[in-house]
Amino acid sequence: MKKTLALILALIMLVSMTACRTTIDPAQANKLTVWHDKEDAVIEALESYLKTAVPDVEIVFEKKTSLTDSLKLVGNDPSAAPDLFIFAHDKVGVFAEMGILAPVKDLLAADALEHYLPMTVEAGTYQDTLYQLPLYFETLLFMYNRRYMQDDEVPVTTDGLLAYMQKNTGRGRYGFVEQHSTAYYSAAWIHGFGGSIIDGSGTPFPDAKAVKDALEYHLKFVALMPGETEYNTVNTLFLEGKADATIGGPWMVPSARAAEINLGIAAMPTVDATGKALAPYSGVQGLHVLKYAAEHKSEAVKKLCAALTDPAIGIDLALASGCAPANALCYDDERVKNDELVQAMRATAEIAVPMPNIPEMDVMWTVVGNLLTDVNLSGKGIDDSFDAALKQAEQLIDAMK
Amino acid sequence: MKNRKKDTLLSYLWSTPSLILIALMVVFPILYTGYISLTNMNVYHWFDFTIVGMENYIRALFVFDSGFLSALIATVIWTAVNMVLQLIIAFVLVTLLNVQKLKLRKLYKTLLMFPWAMPGYVSILLWKTGMFNTQFGLLNQWMEKLGQDAVRWLSSDVSAFICCTVVNLWLALPFMIMIMDGAMQSIDRSYYESALLDGASWLDRTRYITVPAITPIIAPAVIITVFTTFKQFDVVYLLTQQAGAKTGSGFHTILTYAYENAFITNNYGYSSAISIIIFILLLVFSARYQMREERDR
Repeated sequence: MKKTLALILALIMLVSMTACRTTIDPAQANKLTVWHDKEDAVIEALESYLKTAVPDVEIVFEKKTSLTDSLKLVGNDPSAAPDLFIFAHDKVGVFAEMGILAPVKDLLAADALEHYLPMTVEAGTYQDTLYQLPLYFETLLFMYNRRYMQDDEVPVTTDGLLAYMQKNTGRGRYGFVEQHSTAYYSAAWIHGFGGSIIDGSGTPFPDAKAVKDALEYHLKFVALMPGETEYNTVNTLFLEGKADATIGGPWMVPSARAAEINLGIAAMPTVDATGKALAPYSGVQGLHVLKYAAEHKSEAVKKLCAALTDPAIGIDLALASGCAPANALCYDDERVKNDELVQAMRATAEIAVPMPNIPEMDVMWTVVGNLLTDVNLSGKGIDDSFDAALKQAEQLIDAMK
Repeated sequence: MKNRKKDTLLSYLWSTPSLILIALMVVFPILYTGYISLTNMNVYHWFDFTIVGMENYIRALFVFDSGFLSALIATVIWTAVNMVLQLIIAFVLVTLLNVQKLKLRKLYKTLLMFPWAMPGYVSILLWKTGMFNTQFGLLNQWMEKLGQDAVRWLSSDVSAFICCTVVNLWLALPFMIMIMDGAMQSIDRSYYESALLDGASWLDRTRYITVPAITPIIAPAVIITVFTTFKQFDVVYLLTQQAGAKTGSGFHTILTYAYENAFITNNYGYSSAISIIIFILLLVFSARYQMREERDR
C-alpha cells in the first residue's frame, strides 16, 4: 500500500514538474510586449525608430489606461503580464517591493548610462538598484503670456512675483495662477524652503519648520488666486487669457499654442528668504523590465535597451512631442538646442527633485493634499493642520505594512 | 410525493445556471475579500502573503476613531435627508404627471428620465464644473448678475453637503419617479371616483388612497435606494474629495473616509478587513429593515 502511494505521489510530482517546466518558443522569445500610457506622438516616434534600430525583434506597444492597477493584478503572471512597460519612475518602489521588476543595469552595457543626466538615473534607482531605463523627463515650468507679462517683467524672485500679483489681480483677472493646493505643485514651494514631503527612509516631513514656513509664505499667494485648485480651472484661466502667468507642465504647451498664446517660458523664481529657487518635482518616464522577460527573453530585451540608449531616439522624442531627453548627448543636436521648451526643462532639471519612488509616497499625495486644503482652503491653523497631517501620514505608512 | 420531489429537484436544476452566476458575481468576491482580510497581502507581501488571523481586524478598529464616527453620523443624516427629499419630490412630480388631461405627458417623462441616461461620473463632473465652479459655474454667474460676490459652493461642510444632495437627487430621482409612477398608475381609478362622490379633498384622497396603495409597491425600491445612498461614494468623492481637486470641505461618508484612511495604503489585507466590517454594518441595517418589514406584514 505504501509503495503504491509512493508511486502515485512520484507520478503526480513528475507530471507537475513537466507541466511547470517553462519552455519558450523561439519566435516568442523575439516578441516583446510593452504596456504604456503615453500619448500617440511618443509611441509613434518609438515604433518608427525601433523598426529600423531592432528589426529582428517584434515589439508590440499596448496602451493601458490603468496600467499600475493591471500590473498589480497580473505582474507575476507571464501569460497575462507584458514583458516591459513604460511609465513614470515614481512607482518603481512599489513594483520592486512586489518583486516583479528586474534590475536594468544587468541588461545594459557598462557605459550605457555614462552621459545620462544624473537626476534621471537617480529617479529610477530604488534601494541602490536601478529598475528603470530613463527615456525622457517632465517637470513644471514657469510660463507666461507675453500679451500681459513682458519679458522684462518676469519675476526673478518670489517677492517679485507677489508684487506682480498684487498689482495685476482683480476684476476677474489674475497675475499668476497655479494648482496651489495639490501636493505635486506645492512641493516646489516646500523644496524652495529646504523642506521635503518625505525622505528616502520613508520619514514624512523630515524638516517640519521648512514645511510650515513654506505653507505660511505660500498663503500670501493663495489669497490672490482662485479658490479652485483643480487642473481644469487653472489651465482654462491661463488659456483664456485671464491669468498672466502660471506654473504648468509641458503638456500645457500644445493647448497654449493652439489658443494662440504668445507663450514665454522662464526660470523658476527664487525664494527671497532662502535664496533657493522653487524646485518642482520631476517625473522621469522610462522602460521597466519584468522579471520573466529579463530571464526568458534576455537577448531581445538587451537589444531593445541598447537601442533605447542611443541619443537618436531621445532626439526623435524631443522633436516629436517636446520631451526632454534623459541622455545629455541629445542636447548637442542643433534642433534640440533651438527648442525653447526642451531647453527650459533641461535647465530646470538642475534644480528639479525627482518624485520620491518609495512606496510610502503613495499615501503622502493624499496627506499633503489634505494639509494644503486645510491651510489654503479651509482656513485652519498651520500648526494644527501640520500636526494632523503628520499623524495621518504616520498612521497610513504604518498601515501599509 | 415522488412527483413533488422530482419537481423540487427540477426547479433546482433549472435555477442552477443563475445560482452559479450569482455565486461567481456576488458570493465569491465577498468570500475572497473575507479570505484576503485574514492575510498580510500588501506591497511588501504581494504574491507571498500568509494568513495572519484577525490581526487586520484588530488594526482596522483603530480606523474607526472619532473621524469614522463623524463620518458614520454624517452618512446616516445624508441617507435620511436624501431619502425624505427623494420621496417628497418624486411624489409631487408623479402626482403632477398624473394630472388628467395633462398635455405632453410623455415628453415630461422622457425629460425626467434624462439624468439616468447619462453616466454618473460625467453628470457629477458636469455639475462640479458647470454649476458649482467658482470661476465659470452658472451659480456664480447668476450671483455676479445679482451684484453678489462669488461663492465657493463646495468649500464648507454644510454647503458641500447641500450641493452633494442636489447632485445625488438629480441622479437618483429618475428611478424613484419611474417606480412611483408605475405604482400610481396601477391604482384603480374607481377608488378616486368614489372618494370624489363622497366629497373627499385632494389631501384626503392622497392620505387614504394614494399613499397606502403605492407603499407596498415602492417599498423594495426605497430599500434599494436607502442602501445605494448609504454607501454612496462617487458623488461625495468626485465633488469634494477627488485627489488634486479637493475643495476644502470636510464632509465624508463612511466610504470616502475609509478610502482616505485605508484603501490608499495598498494594504489589501487591511483594506479588505475594513470592507468586511462595513459590509457587516450594512448587513445589520438590512436585517433590521427586513425584520421590521416582516413584522409590519
